[in-house]
Parts: sequence; structure tokens; C-alpha cells
Amino acid sequence: MRAHEPAFREAGASLAAIGLGDRHYAQQFREETGITFPLLIDEQRAAYRAAGLRTASLLHLVRRDNAAARARARAAGHRQHRLGANPFQLGGSFVFGPGDVDHYAHLSETFGDNATPAALLAALRAAPPAGRR
Amino acid sequence: MATTLSARLAGITLPDPDGRAVRLGSLWEASPAVLVFLRHYG
Repeated sequence: MRAHEPAFREAGASLAAIGLGDRHYAQQFREETGITFPLLIDEQRAAYRAAGLRTASLLHLVRRDNAAARARARAAGHRQHRLGANPFQLGGSFVFGPGDVDHYAHLSETFGDNATPAALLAALRAAPPAGRR
Repeated sequence: MATTLSARLAGITLPDPDGRAVRLGSLWEASPAVLVFLRHYG
């Protein structure tokens, strides 16, 4: 997702990420990746719960789409850093604002199920620009 | 009562790796924001 930050900025938006790991691993991740957008730590999963994000089960590990997602990630040069406090916690992607207005929500259904940058950009283009609600 | 997901999340405050507290709502107060919940750091 970080590779698409310039496109999000061009669309008038900012990018922020929330992770489950502790401060030490968040610092390490930020240093290794060189990200400059906000990276927040939710060790208690308060925001994950409020967002209604799902939790996977052991069965997800053997799903064919999960294996395919791992292969795609490896082929793209991604490598997995340390898992968060709950390895079965699934993620999600949202487009909000300006103000408390929802434009897009993608709640992952399994490990490799992520929002596409194209879908996020389409939601941003439909959202009002800064200063308008 | 919060009527949107962004409104429910807006009041939650989380720390960044430097220990600074960030209120989530401040991320999309003035302009749109893409908010990504990571499964892991990677």
C-alpha cells in the first residue's frame, strides 16, 4: 500500500496505518520500510473492534486463496515482518472524510484479501476534496 | 450516538511509535484519508 501513497496524495488524501504490534516492532517496521505516513499502535485492538474487523481461524491457513495470496506477495517482493499480538486478526481498508463521512470500507475475509489500490483511488475521486463535506 | 463508522472511530486515540497520541478523527477531519488496518507489520 505504501507504494501507492503518492497517488493517494495526488488525489488529495493522506494515508495512515494501524498495527497490532508493540512500539518496538512498529519502530522497526517504520525504519525498515522508510514509511513517512502515520503508523499507529493498537495493542488493545480497540480500533479493530470498533471497525468490526474479522478474525480468521486455522482453516483459513489451508484455503487455496490464501496460498495464492502468499505467492503473489512473495512474487511482488514483499516479506512478512513480525506478526502482531493476534496472528489471526484480519485487516481492513477505509476511506473517510473530510469529517466523519464514510466513502469506502473493505473488511478482509481471509489473510490475502486486501482492498485494491484502484478501489481506494476510485473512492477518493468520488469523495469531496479537502474543506468540503 | 455515532452514525457512521468514521464517527465511531474518530474518538479513539492511539500512540505512534514515538509515543505521540493521535486521535483518529484528526486524520480525516480536514481532508480525505485512507486508513489501513494491518494484519501484521509488513
